[in-house]
Amino acid sequence: MPPKGKAAAKPKETSASASKPSSAPTPPSTISERTQQRIEATNPPITLSSGLSSLSPTEKTLWINSRFARSPTLRAKLGTKAQRDLWRHVNEASLPIRSLAPPSKPITATTTIWGTDKSGRDVGTYTPTQFSERTSKRARLTSLAAASDAFADLRRRAQLRIPDPLTGEDPVLLEADVEAERARRKEMAALRGELYGERTGTYASDPEWDDVTPVALEEPEGALAAIAYPDDYAEAIGYLRAVMLRKEYSPRCLRLTEHVIGLNPAHYTVWLYRASILFALGVDVPEEMRWLNGVALANLKNYQIWHHRHLLVEQYWPVIEGDEGKREEFARGETEFITRMLEEDTKNYHVWSYRSFLVRKLGLWKSAGERERRLVEEMVKEDVRNNSAWSHRFFVVFSDPEQSTEGVGATEFDPKVPGEIVDREVGYALEKIGWAPQNQSPWNYLRGALVKGGRKLGSVKGEVEGYVRDIGGEGEDVRSTHALDLLADIYAEEGDREKADLCLRRLAEKWDPIRAGYWGWRRKMLEADKRD
Amino acid sequence: MKRIHHRPQVIFKKRATAADMADSASSSRISTDTDVDEEFVHDFSTTLSSPAMAPEIPDLFSYAPPVVDSLETETSLKQNEVVQQCLEYLTAKDPDSVYNLHGVARLERATHKAFLHKGLGKYPDRFVPADASRPWYLYWCLSALALLGEDVSSYRERLVATARSMQNDYGGFGGGCGQTSHLATTYAVVLALTLVGGGEAYEVIDRRAMWRWLCSLKQPDGGFQVAMGGEEDIRGAYCAAVIITLLDLPLNLTPESPAWTGDESKTLFTDVPEYVRRCQTFEGGISGQPDTEAHGAYAFCALGCLSILDAPGRIIPKYLDVPRLVAWLSSRQYAPEGGFSGRTNKLVDGCYSHWVGGCWPLIEACLNGSAGATEANNLPQASGSLFCREGLIRYILCCCQDLPRRGGLRDKPGKNSDPYHSCYVLSGLSSAQYQWRWAPGENDEDGWNVSLYTDEEQIYEDNDLVAPIHPVYVMPQSAVNDIRLYFSAKQGF
Repeated sequence: MPPKGKAAAKPKETSASASKPSSAPTPPSTISERTQQRIEATNPPITLSSGLSSLSPTEKTLWINSRFARSPTLRAKLGTKAQRDLWRHVNEASLPIRSLAPPSKPITATTTIWGTDKSGRDVGTYTPTQFSERTSKRARLTSLAAASDAFADLRRRAQLRIPDPLTGEDPVLLEADVEAERARRKEMAALRGELYGERTGTYASDPEWDDVTPVALEEPEGALAAIAYPDDYAEAIGYLRAVMLRKEYSPRCLRLTEHVIGLNPAHYTVWLYRASILFALGVDVPEEMRWLNGVALANLKNYQIWHHRHLLVEQYWPVIEGDEGKREEFARGETEFITRMLEEDTKNYHVWSYRSFLVRKLGLWKSAGERERRLVEEMVKEDVRNNSAWSHRFFVVFSDPEQSTEGVGATEFDPKVPGEIVDREVGYALEKIGWAPQNQSPWNYLRGALVKGGRKLGSVKGEVEGYVRDIGGEGEDVRSTHALDLLADIYAEEGDREKADLCLRRLAEKWDPIRAGYWGWRRKMLEADKRD
Repeated sequence: MKRIHHRPQVIFKKRATAADMADSASSSRISTDTDVDEEFVHDFSTTLSSPAMAPEIPDLFSYAPPVVDSLETETSLKQNEVVQQCLEYLTAKDPDSVYNLHGVARLERATHKAFLHKGLGKYPDRFVPADASRPWYLYWCLSALALLGEDVSSYRERLVATARSMQNDYGGFGGGCGQTSHLATTYAVVLALTLVGGGEAYEVIDRRAMWRWLCSLKQPDGGFQVAMGGEEDIRGAYCAAVIITLLDLPLNLTPESPAWTGDESKTLFTDVPEYVRRCQTFEGGISGQPDTEAHGAYAFCALGCLSILDAPGRIIPKYLDVPRLVAWLSSRQYAPEGGFSGRTNKLVDGCYSHWVGGCWPLIEACLNGSAGATEANNLPQASGSLFCREGLIRYILCCCQDLPRRGGLRDKPGKNSDPYHSCYVLSGLSSAQYQWRWAPGENDEDGWNVSLYTDEEQIYEDNDLVAPIHPVYVMPQSAVNDIRLYFSAKQGF
């Protein structure tokens, strides 16, 4: 057998008589070009476009010889001499014996024999330098994958305590191995991204999560109101589902919940799961509270946060219940945080609800109740129309279990409320009414306090009448429709139904006509009272 | 102190230039000018006889209220801002609206329908925060479409598939696949399935698991947790009552229920009204949980829940201070805006058209019903309307439509529409256009009888009429009857 490739390696320049010069090609600028050049260099420079018969006798011989040179099957049909002749001829003509198969279709701008890269670019348009970079990256990825497999194997053997067959020692998985694997995964993820545009998720590239198979979202075909999830959210949720299904309560799950909460704080499921983990692990409540403060300030309108806090307090309560110092410290910390939250959003319903829960849970009555009252008073000073602050005050003042009766409705008389407290509250409301008489908050408060204390509404008649003048007369003036409203009740209480009716009529006709239907009903109530 | 004002006004669909205005006022042809595509109102409205005629808008809705304090605080500044903004829309100055003779904007049904159909489609990734509320999107969009007269049964197949992926083996529906079951999301899915109707939709629900799950949420004090380990509030009680009665679930408790005492006479409904009662506040309104501030959304939950448990006329006065409640509800309506606020000294918001507006049919049923208990409680019947329907209709049609292009309904001018507001603003419009009477035995229905409210002059066009909506279940009554009939005829689960 003649030495392979020798002819191709040392082509005789004289025999390069075909249509294209096979020697000294210009350096290729792209991979496709290089391929084209190689194809040309390794195939006989003959085209059969118009059939064998169109070739010159020399070309015919060349072509036939090249066929024979390449095919052992054909060669076997030749005698020894013929074979010798063939090789001689092949050598003389520098015919390549191994050739790069020409493409079935001619190479054009749209042929992608090298495939496309992540951005859809034909790899054939790469420069040789770019191509070689790509090739070494692929090689690097392969070697990393092999190392990663070795890591997985080591870990498996360490878990199953399969001794090393050579040393007989139990394999040990070191933290350094895990760290190295983590770095390796990072590099692999980066390479996959660069080469194929594949995105490897945070969890998929973290060896700590290898034992968890994420439960992918199974969104049915044509699902309604479906959301196009970003990759990181979809991945985190997939892992969340998986660990929730196997009821895992571990520190890594805690970190996962924190991640999901960061991505979507309105995801109630993750909050409930987080609470279960915390309680299963025996959480440090103050630490969780500190973390929660940051989340709450970043998500003012979120309400899951507040239920979570509620659960934490319930959990913490047995720890602080018997320790007044701790209780006091905790209450102070919470009050400070609530104050901070309310500075951002003075009427936040969830914050105020949490606040009243805290008062009842921690028993913040008496001196602590005084503090609550003072703090809320500051808020009322700031905005006398802040009804949330007024509501909280009413709760703190009138729900102290030592000074109220359990089960008495909010709009009912409670004999257990001390008289001096009723006096104080009525005075407070009246003072604040003076600031802005058309502000309904203190009027509701005033009525509430009077009813709680079992006082007659008429006990404030003088003050209330100060806000209206000459009802039904020429010089009629009203500085507060709420005063007129209360006066109607005061007159009715006194039995002066005509005067009461006049107030209601004037409200309907002039001072508050949007509520005319209601004022009309109130007038009917007067009628009904008369019948009694 | 008030001026009578005449504003000769030509009303355009789109803003026109001054020159076009002058040109158009003198002729009634549709402008052929290529860069102005306005369309005259009188082509649309039969009531507006001349394009130069000023709409009749009462002063109540055209000027700030007669009594205003001078002291400025954060609350009053915000309030004044909203009043100023609403006045623009209430006085027929919005170039994107078509007004009738009463200065009330036309309901742009087609634009809203398009918005709502789109609302059932795909959402981009910035909607991730809504990932736990998807069932609500289903209910809001389907309900709003039903209110606009659309047949939503075409969504049945897709809804069935979607709902299935949200159901958990242990009962109830979560916000999505793999999410914990929650009373709010379950309520929304059950209502959505009811809206599209049909056995195929109803049968998605695993009723036995649902019943067990509800038992596990029932608390010893009568209320319901919204999820296992979740908060307890009045929403939970309302949602549970709706689910139980729509699905005709058994009322008895399982021994696994936290409320189980061994006493078999205790049911899922035991102490629910007591829980509701503890949520009434000194202001008269209802709070989400005991000890907190009265809030419009919870008022509806409280009244809806009670009205499911017994005749409104009997149970509402038994557990709630009705005069204080009515006083508080009535205080929620503001002039000139006409809409409702959710709490004392808060701003009007279109969604309270339902949360507060939807309380009125229940209150009226309580006062005017035939249950006989009202006399005992000394409550007079309500003649006419207890709230100002005209004000609410004006606020909804003039201020809450997101026009010209986006469609859907909104909180207030300056805000974007969304499915939530679309659903509850239209529900509120329905409450303002119809009246309901509680008269059990008068028909084959569930005791609720509806008729168009005709006691006052109608200020909206016939085409602006939305469908009546069940005052308790907040869906078309026929859908409610269909599902209840279906399950009550069924043996066992």
